[in-house]
Amino acid sequence: MSDPMPNPRFAFAGHLTAIGSLVAGAGITLMPKDDLALATVIARKGQAGVLGERVQALFGIPLPARPKRAAAGKIAFIGTGPGQWLAIEESSGDPQSFAAKLATEFAGSGSVCDQSDGRAVIRVSGPRARHVLAKGLPVDLHPRAFGPGDAALSQIALISTLLWQIDEAPTYEIAVFRSMAGSFADWLIASGAEYGIAAMS
Amino acid sequence: MTPLPQSRRLASGGLIDRSRTLSFQFDGKPMTGHPGDTLASALIANGTILAGRSFKYHRPRGILTAGSEEPNALVELRSGARREPNTKATTVELFDGLVARSQNRWPSLGFDVMSVNSLLSPIFVAGFYYKTFMWPAAFWEKLYEPLIRRAAGLGRASREPDPDSYEKAFAFCDVLVIGGGPTGLMAALSAARAGAHVILCDEDFSFGGRLLSEQFVIDGQSGADWKAAAVFELEQNPAVTLMRRTTVFGGYDQSTYGALERVGDHLPVPLPHMPRQRLWKIVAKRAVLAAGAVERQIVFGGNDRPGVMMASALRSYVNRFAAAPAQRLGLFTNNDDGWKTVADCIRAGIKVEAVIDPRPAIPEAFRQLAIQAGARLFEGGLVQDAHGTARGLQSIDVMTSTGRTESVAVDGLAVSGGWNPAVALTCHLGARPVWRDDISAFVAGDTPPGLVVAGAATGAFDLRSCLADGVRLGAEAAQAAGFTAVAPTVPAASEETLGLMPLWKVTGARTKAFVDFQNDVTAKDIVIAEREGFRSVEHLKRYTTLGMATDQGKTANVNGLAIMAALTGRSIPETGTTTFRPPYTPVAIGAFAGHHRGKHFRPTRLTPSHAWAAEQGAQFVEAGQWLRAQWFPKPGETDWLTSVNREVIAVRGAVGVCDVSTLGKIDIQGADAGTLLDRVYINGFSALPVGKVRYGAMLREDGIVMDDGTTARLAQDRYVMSTTTANAAKVMQHLEFCHQVLWPELDVQMVSVTEQWAQFSIAGPRARDTIQKLIDPMADVSNMALPYMGVTTITVCGGIPGRLFRISFSGELAYELAVPARYGDGVIRAIMSAGAEYGIVAYGTEALGVMRIEKGHPAGNELNGTATARDLGLGKLMSQKKDFIGRVMAERSGLTNPDRPSLAGFVPVNRADRLRAGAHFLGLGAHPSASNDQGYMTSVAFSPSLSHWVGLGLIKNGPNRHGERVRAYDPVRRGDIEVEICSPVFIDPEGGRLRV
Amino acid sequence: MQIECPFCGKRDAHEFAYLGDATVARPDPAVPDAARAFYEYVYLRDNPAGSHRELWYHSAGCHSWLVVTRDTRTHAIETIAQVGAR
Repeated sequence: MSDPMPNPRFAFAGHLTAIGSLVAGAGITLMPKDDLALATVIARKGQAGVLGERVQALFGIPLPARPKRAAAGKIAFIGTGPGQWLAIEESSGDPQSFAAKLATEFAGSGSVCDQSDGRAVIRVSGPRARHVLAKGLPVDLHPRAFGPGDAALSQIALISTLLWQIDEAPTYEIAVFRSMAGSFADWLIASGAEYGIAAMS
Repeated sequence: MTPLPQSRRLASGGLIDRSRTLSFQFDGKPMTGHPGDTLASALIANGTILAGRSFKYHRPRGILTAGSEEPNALVELRSGARREPNTKATTVELFDGLVARSQNRWPSLGFDVMSVNSLLSPIFVAGFYYKTFMWPAAFWEKLYEPLIRRAAGLGRASREPDPDSYEKAFAFCDVLVIGGGPTGLMAALSAARAGAHVILCDEDFSFGGRLLSEQFVIDGQSGADWKAAAVFELEQNPAVTLMRRTTVFGGYDQSTYGALERVGDHLPVPLPHMPRQRLWKIVAKRAVLAAGAVERQIVFGGNDRPGVMMASALRSYVNRFAAAPAQRLGLFTNNDDGWKTVADCIRAGIKVEAVIDPRPAIPEAFRQLAIQAGARLFEGGLVQDAHGTARGLQSIDVMTSTGRTESVAVDGLAVSGGWNPAVALTCHLGARPVWRDDISAFVAGDTPPGLVVAGAATGAFDLRSCLADGVRLGAEAAQAAGFTAVAPTVPAASEETLGLMPLWKVTGARTKAFVDFQNDVTAKDIVIAEREGFRSVEHLKRYTTLGMATDQGKTANVNGLAIMAALTGRSIPETGTTTFRPPYTPVAIGAFAGHHRGKHFRPTRLTPSHAWAAEQGAQFVEAGQWLRAQWFPKPGETDWLTSVNREVIAVRGAVGVCDVSTLGKIDIQGADAGTLLDRVYINGFSALPVGKVRYGAMLREDGIVMDDGTTARLAQDRYVMSTTTANAAKVMQHLEFCHQVLWPELDVQMVSVTEQWAQFSIAGPRARDTIQKLIDPMADVSNMALPYMGVTTITVCGGIPGRLFRISFSGELAYELAVPARYGDGVIRAIMSAGAEYGIVAYGTEALGVMRIEKGHPAGNELNGTATARDLGLGKLMSQKKDFIGRVMAERSGLTNPDRPSLAGFVPVNRADRLRAGAHFLGLGAHPSASNDQGYMTSVAFSPSLSHWVGLGLIKNGPNRHGERVRAYDPVRRGDIEVEICSPVFIDPEGGRLRV
Repeated sequence: MQIECPFCGKRDAHEFAYLGDATVARPDPAVPDAARAFYEYVYLRDNPAGSHRELWYHSAGCHSWLVVTRDTRTHAIETIAQVGAR
């Protein structure tokens, strides 16, 4: 117990180093989002309305009934299924406490699970972001079909993914199961290499 | 060697870039060409007539077509690891440094020993495989097949791994236009002008289709200029995606199309990071099929001789590529379209020696054209035989309208038997084409929803109709996709006529007349098939192999069908239809695999302690998608068993740690969580106290065990279930089924938390001592506070929140410590240093397996999809007080019979013997037969605790036969030993060690 | 093939897992002839050429169980609906 608390090891650690030097004018920029607190929230039977009111009251966010991302400040909710959401807190210093806080606030109306470590999130942006994603995602990301605030649950290269769009740059964030982060990074790098990839930490 | 000049290159014209010269080699001979050439056009420009030999008879063959329908000119392209057989010279885009070799010849293309096959042709006729090589069976493998393989073949594949990469991609559009000829270009323009998102694909490297190959005039411009303007307009429109070198090869359900883009095939090697090919899945709201038509042959004697070429292909070589396939040409056409060849030859300075047109009367304009060309005209005439050698054509025998035979000296013969619309894509979902008498061709029958056919693919064989079709159908497709089309204007083009008189086969040929060039099927083969009763299209095809080669009979099928129709006195539609399955042209397996080859065959899942385990030099094993540490060799350990024995002894004697994060974990919350678990598990969970863990087994509805694991109650309304590693996703799907489909009234919320937690098993007599050093003060993990099968929440290592389960798979005092996965790496390092003073070891899946076998825990090998709960000794868990999935069916007499193979332990009577999993049990002295089979050994391990092998197995009435001896019979590995049946629990049967 | 998930939208069929007949219902285990009823529920299936109600699971998406009414001859999909609890 005299030892200090061990450092965390994030899911993409060691998987994004092999993509070479930062290419000037890279078509794609990758950035792992290690500072997100994530929690799944599922409405209790018949309590979706109550849950929605709680979320609105606490965060000023209308709970999306579709695969959409609704955000205010550091908090966002993404619809991941009927009566199910992924709650996100940006720049979270203490990811476990986010789920704990939601669990307390939603007691009786929503079941909450910490997933801050269960999902690894990576930000994919740049002028060729759409091109690289088209090599794996069977979802139309053209601006007329998909824009900021839209989300999709699907799979890329046989890996389950939850993707949402942040802005029109375009910037996307993609959550995959933590254990698959390495394989997902391999696919991203293989598919994006022709456009040039810059990685940020 | 310096390349010879391009002797057959026309002095001017063509859509080639004469400012640049490309060098290439064919059969070792250096040659040159220009950008814009195909390999075939460059060969022709270099005066090469002979392109390969045929598959069966090794007959010399030339270039027949100028497109993807080519049956003859198949070559091996490139060399070394990139060597690719059966590429069509007619579609290979010439690049600098290209190396190609002809196929099916030995020792050389000009002199081929196997062409003797042609003399043996009586034995190579239709059905020869079936008739000649029927028995004895062993002869097939040892004699016939090697012989045939050497004699016949379709090129040699490289035996090295493919050095190129492939990828898959998805595209979405309002209107997909398939084919970039005049119809497709017009359809794309029309749809794009309405605002639709359009994808236009063409298999060629240049858009334009026949506009590139004919002397068309559109709106007063040349066809090529009009095409350039159209492509420019499309390129300027951001809503249009132009895909050259892209073949739409398949049409699938709900308007989904498969397409292959040849990204780097036109380069010597793909550029860095460039895939060689890309497989597209295109989802289109509407699709316009403008794939054009394929010119068909006329079957006559020697119609496969080098120098015989489709008339449209000849015009392609002359007009598009400025290459002259012949200098003294004959033309054999039964339609007006073929006559275009005469005018083009006059323009190019190619002498037309004769025109043979079987029609009794032809338009006066053509007569004048023949006079202008100085050609002899045989109205009502037929070409009966073509004569020549491997070096080219020498003469043709013409039967005149009066019945005389005349020989005409020619070095080339252009043939047009009419056109077959390219309707393959309309058939991919099961529809069949229908016959149209007015054009003597099959056209699309029912089309799949969302697909329309346009232009020549509908049988509209004139440019004016094609352009009008494109305008109209492009606009309609855009409208159907929700856009408003602008008023259509159709470009002006001159009128054309077809005037076809059907002619499939010339009678009276004295030499071999071919129907299917690539598979060497002759007209006579069809006669034999008819004679022997193979008259249906499907039988004809399989008996003669008509249409079964890599070109799928694009130039053969309809002629074959027509010949059969004539033989049987039926009409063509009565005889049958040709139909098509994907792919339209061959697609490399690599393109279907895309990224998923080698180590990327499927995603690999890494455990939270993976990086640490790799540092320790762990040996890894694939467990489903997971990569798990199998054992941790120490320096000096060269044998896996030494490492595993050491790990097991250390756990049983001191303490060990194993990453068990791969087990599935499902968080189950809600007021009815316990009720759901009661219905899913054979035993009860709603009465499990908070803070306790229970082992449970679940069945399929048919009464067979599906999975097992422990479930802990964290709160009144919250459980966490563990599943086996292999079944995690399946159990989640099952629980969702139970909740959503069977019992939607329950208040239950479930989510997988497998990946959230790094979970470590810490097992052995010093496990608690080790744990004590990790957990933060205040937590009490004494046997009193946290007894066997208890669970508590704690913090470790100075504040990391975790869960501590007192559960054991090894049979020792053991805990499973769960921490957020990001801390898995740090915590395993902390566990190793905390346990160092007790001699802690890291152990892998092998030691885990040894210890569970020693404890008699069933696992994957025992949960084999046939075992019931009773078979596995879990019968006493089956609740009598409640219903659960599989309860009713588990009571079937067949599943409750005590004679069923059920779980027992096994030890070798001679303790030195090794046990083998998979060995079958027989009574002592019983004959090894299926009827004497009593079951089999499911799992074995060398037990370092007992110093001999132990096994688990499923044997008839196992629990009641402890002490009995049986044979463990393993003929595959020559195992046949005596074993004794015993309790499956080899270590600590009372379980005292678990509870200390 | 494309299947329009009521929650996620139109998706490739690869995202879905097929179970089969949606017209059978789990019998009441308390009825006297439960053994026969379960036998039929587990094993007996019609195999219609034409319209068929089927259970599909959006395994790579929202994890919804769906009832898809599909023509087994043409793969044309008539209706798609969430099942049960959702």
